Amino acid sequence: MKNKSLSFIVVLIIAAIIVVIVLDYSAKRPDRLGDNPYEYQFDEYKEVDTSLIGYRETKNFPVRDYKPGALDLYDNLLWIAGEQVLQVISLAGVQQMKTEIQGLPTCIEVNDQAVFIGFEDHIKKYSREGTFLAEWDSPGSKCVFTSLASAGEFLFVADAGNRRVLRYNLEGELMGQFEGKAESSAGHGFIVPSASFDLVVNSYDELWVVNPGRHALENYTNEGQLRGFWTAGSMNIEGFSGCCNPAHIAVMEDGSFVTSEKHMVRIKIYDSSGELKTVVAPPRKFLEEGQAPEVVVDENGVVYALDFDRNVIRIFEKNR
Amino acid sequence: MARDKEYNRREFINRGARFTLGLSLAGVGVAAAVNAGSEKYLWQIDPFKCTQCGRCATDCVLSPSAVKCVHAYDICGYCDLCGGYFKPGVTDLDTGAEKQLCPAAAIERKFIEEPYFEYIIDEELCIGCAKCVKGCSAFGNGSLHLQIRHDICVNCNECSIARVCPSDAISRVPASEPYMIKGDFTANESGEAGA
Repeated sequence: MKNKSLSFIVVLIIAAIIVVIVLDYSAKRPDRLGDNPYEYQFDEYKEVDTSLIGYRETKNFPVRDYKPGALDLYDNLLWIAGEQVLQVISLAGVQQMKTEIQGLPTCIEVNDQAVFIGFEDHIKKYSREGTFLAEWDSPGSKCVFTSLASAGEFLFVADAGNRRVLRYNLEGELMGQFEGKAESSAGHGFIVPSASFDLVVNSYDELWVVNPGRHALENYTNEGQLRGFWTAGSMNIEGFSGCCNPAHIAVMEDGSFVTSEKHMVRIKIYDSSGELKTVVAPPRKFLEEGQAPEVVVDENGVVYALDFDRNVIRIFEKNR
Repeated sequence: MARDKEYNRREFINRGARFTLGLSLAGVGVAAAVNAGSEKYLWQIDPFKCTQCGRCATDCVLSPSAVKCVHAYDICGYCDLCGGYFKPGVTDLDTGAEKQLCPAAAIERKFIEEPYFEYIIDEELCIGCAKCVKGCSAFGNGSLHLQIRHDICVNCNECSIARVCPSDAISRVPASEPYMIKGDFTANESGEAGA
């Protein structure tokens, strides 16, 4: 009788130990732990007043079979440079051309003379039919080319690695460079903490360069003299967040800018003096902490955004 | 006859005990020799897998945690507006305590030259919560990241943080390469997408 009681107690203790171990293990499973007491909260900035959103997404064109690197719009065609591929599609999404190129491009510029494709540290020139024409030498070490834009006989190149803008002629001869310091006390050269460094040329052949570390858009002469700038640093919808935004810009016919930001991804339109005009796409349209979409805009104000996280070109049109 | 039997049993037990003890000592000796020849392993965090869940601060057996924020200065942009230092939405960029993201005030902001600032981690104060890492990864370029400091870590047989890590970012690494510092250690080595 005594032995029976002892056995029962031992079995009970063993069972209790097993239950505690199982409960401890199941409670400590990564998917069953509670909230993070040190959560980084910025959800309030992801919400956008719907009255500010002036665009809606109308369609999209998936980019299949290759990794896209850059997007341009010229002659009412979308030019997509991707890993080993240069593809051209109409604004309705119909393929016009697809040809093979070497490497993974980071930027592309198309003008009436040629297609210029930028890679990490060099540029290749192609005919508009996709024939390889020339490869330009790298202008030095640490180059990270992130954007191209042409104005007349010049091609401007944003080099994030060296925090400078290079000016080539269209035959690949380096004509000059500047680091944005100018003589203005307001400017401080280009501050480029990451490989987000964009530039555009507007319809008046004016060069605008993003100074991402200052959340600024700066207007330069071809020789690199600062003519004007505006800034908009804020996590609120009126400004640019983080250290390196806007990551991409495009310019509209009237001189307004389409801007695209990374991490808290959002696309907006500012007038030429930096006033927010409208929101094209709020953060909830994109993956959380996603990459900034490359943006281009057509003459009707339709915005085409190359969403790198989803490999798709997304089309946003003005609300009726 | 009965005495002989009893004597033999005792002798058998004594000899058995001596044999077992000898065998154990030999085993320990062999194991020590094998261990001396093989490499030691330590726990470490892969910064490219880390999702800044906060469990390094709450689940380490040590208090404060052996996990600390480290700074890859060669990646850092020395930004005036640092996403790892300032709370979201701060516009006046000064060192006011109410503007700092770190709950332990473990980051020192030091002026270098206009408009660059250096951010230095005080490891004595750091609790390994990864709040600054999240801010730096989301709004900067990811130069702040977590590492297990081996001068503090007691190298548990089963790391209690590894057990609860939702992204499997903690694994054993050879003691000859005890840290995975960004810059030296790249996303390609990790097998994860870069920050």
